[in-house]
Amino acid sequence: MDCYTTYQPIFRPRVVAVVGASASGGVTPGNEFIRHSRAFGYDGRMVPIHPSAPSVEGLPAAKSFAEVGEMVDFAYIAVGAQHVPGLIAAAAGKVRYAQVMSSGFGEVAEGRALEQQVVEAARTAGVRIIGPNCLGVYSPRGRLSFIGGASPEPGSVGVITQSGGLGVDIILRGQSRGLRYSGLVTLGNSADVGPAELVEYFLADPDTKVIGLYAEDIKDGRAFFRALRTARGAKPVVVLLGGQTSQGRSAAASHTGSLASGAEIWRGLARQTGIALTRTLDEFLDVLLAFQALAPRRDRPTRRCVLFGNGGGTSVLAADAFGSRGLDVTPMPRPAIDALGKLALLPGTSVVNPIDAPAYTLRQEEGRIAERILDIVLQEGKPDAVVMHINLPVFIASTIQGVDVVQNLVDAALRARARHPGQAHFALVLRSDGAEPSERRRRELRDKVVRQGIPVYDEMANAADALAGVAFYERYVAG
Amino acid sequence: MLSQIFAQARAAGRSALDEPAAKRVLAAYGIAIPRGTTVAPGVRPALEGLAAPFAVKLISQDASHKSDVGGVRLGLDAAAVAQAVREMEALASGRNLRFEGALVEEMAPAGVELVIGGVIDARFGPVLMLGLGGVFVEIFGDTAFRVCPIERRDAQEMIDELRGAPLLRGARGRKPVDEARIAEALLAVGGAGGLLVGLEHELAELDINPLIVSGQAAVACDARIVLSKR
Repeated sequence: MDCYTTYQPIFRPRVVAVVGASASGGVTPGNEFIRHSRAFGYDGRMVPIHPSAPSVEGLPAAKSFAEVGEMVDFAYIAVGAQHVPGLIAAAAGKVRYAQVMSSGFGEVAEGRALEQQVVEAARTAGVRIIGPNCLGVYSPRGRLSFIGGASPEPGSVGVITQSGGLGVDIILRGQSRGLRYSGLVTLGNSADVGPAELVEYFLADPDTKVIGLYAEDIKDGRAFFRALRTARGAKPVVVLLGGQTSQGRSAAASHTGSLASGAEIWRGLARQTGIALTRTLDEFLDVLLAFQALAPRRDRPTRRCVLFGNGGGTSVLAADAFGSRGLDVTPMPRPAIDALGKLALLPGTSVVNPIDAPAYTLRQEEGRIAERILDIVLQEGKPDAVVMHINLPVFIASTIQGVDVVQNLVDAALRARARHPGQAHFALVLRSDGAEPSERRRRELRDKVVRQGIPVYDEMANAADALAGVAFYERYVAG
Repeated sequence: MLSQIFAQARAAGRSALDEPAAKRVLAAYGIAIPRGTTVAPGVRPALEGLAAPFAVKLISQDASHKSDVGGVRLGLDAAAVAQAVREMEALASGRNLRFEGALVEEMAPAGVELVIGGVIDARFGPVLMLGLGGVFVEIFGDTAFRVCPIERRDAQEMIDELRGAPLLRGARGRKPVDEARIAEALLAVGGAGGLLVGLEHELAELDINPLIVSGQAAVACDARIVLSKR
């Protein structure tokens, strides 16, 4: 069986069993999983497993996996840790994947033996374990969710996380930024199914365009390396690492041993496989968004960036941020500067790069001036990426109203990009003062613009992180 | 033959191979080592066929960092070698170190001191390192790591990744070194048929330090192979 078919039951199960949902009015994680997935429109068969109740959450219950009467693709298990080994043993031949939410296993010293028991029971039973100590699976296409508030809209970002709680952040904060997921699986302790296997699944999944991984300890590191090495950058992979010390081996008997920290090994592995390493949750989401929205170029890795927007200091700081991430913000070629010079932009506008256009310049022609500027930038400047930034409160709080300059600026960018397809990656930075009018405007614009293939960021430094991640991947696949 | 070297060292209760044994392992994987001879205790060094200048090094499992105890003498002519070997013996007895002999080797051509090393990582398996600065590698911290097996592209990128790479390329009027030989040595240690993958279960850590690289050669002048725990 190919890898895609093998792991698909995790994300598109036809038959789901839920162990640990209360029939007596209590709300356990099991009840929540049933409720959220039904609200999501799960249309397969969902069977609560309950020792006595005839129904749970209005669904007919079974007393055991055996009583379900057909193969369970995915069992959601949230019961006390001590009951798990027996439950898994009883799942032999009746369950494909069992996700164990329960904690009290390998994450605490006294639970290690129990985790080993679960793993052995699973091997004997032929059941694959996800977890333990995790939160669930989120799959918009499979219509499953372990949390409320998650978007039902399917997307192209596949995520594997060794922390369930961080998985919640990734889903919710990510979707606010415009990310849409093909699936997210929380692996917890990864006692059986590990990140390497699910990376292979997402590599094979036609709905997944970019893969995100939050990793603390990859036990199958060697398989992970092999999978990515074989893939040769077929899809971008963005990694957020937790718990990597910069310390070498404590008992090292060699120079090499004292220098070989986890962080150093990951840095090397990134160079070998093209995975983009990130340092914070925000950077992780920002880079994922860039890969969701943009089409990486194999023939021309991103290097030369043109920055364009209002705010002198913002432009200077932005150039620093891009420069420190290995992206060029150098003056555009002469013909571009000359052509921009002929536009009769108002005094105070600098057209070299960054193009520092004060708000009064951006208001020229009710904002449509931006289209002419960007046309010249794309035509004569031939950049690899263009980042346009708008300081929203300056326009929102202005006494000059009546014309929606911000909308005109954004439309100008969209039209200019459409006239020069494939020339440059486009990113938009909508800067806010944190007050509600700016925040609301940013939310509305972000939602629309990301769908058109332009990632939107809060600050120029975020855009720099995101494009640096894209550039790293592009350099890798360019060879 | 290699498994025998490891078996003997284990049988003798060692935690690491001695330098001559470690160098035999390197040579078996095609890594250039200096020409030389091992001098047993009480035996006169025989230097026929070898050319000065020489390096003389103490062999003692009690001195894992022999330069720290004065167990390395460099740049000796043939006449000075016998005296240096006797001094090693005296040094060992003075410091209460087992004297297992001395290693007399031709000096490598002068060049840039690099380190090629390896560890067997619990998660990622064999991992390769290239570092700059010889015995000062930890002070500079100028290193590049890769998971094994590496390919030729990885070897070249590891060299490029060193901040000190210009030192290899003729900075400030120096002669450029032969980078292809560094890449070959990296592949011999970390490639698909290389030492780390081949001996993954025998060893825990490896230092080739220094690997002296010049316009003509990349020579493993010292080597340390720490045995895996069984």
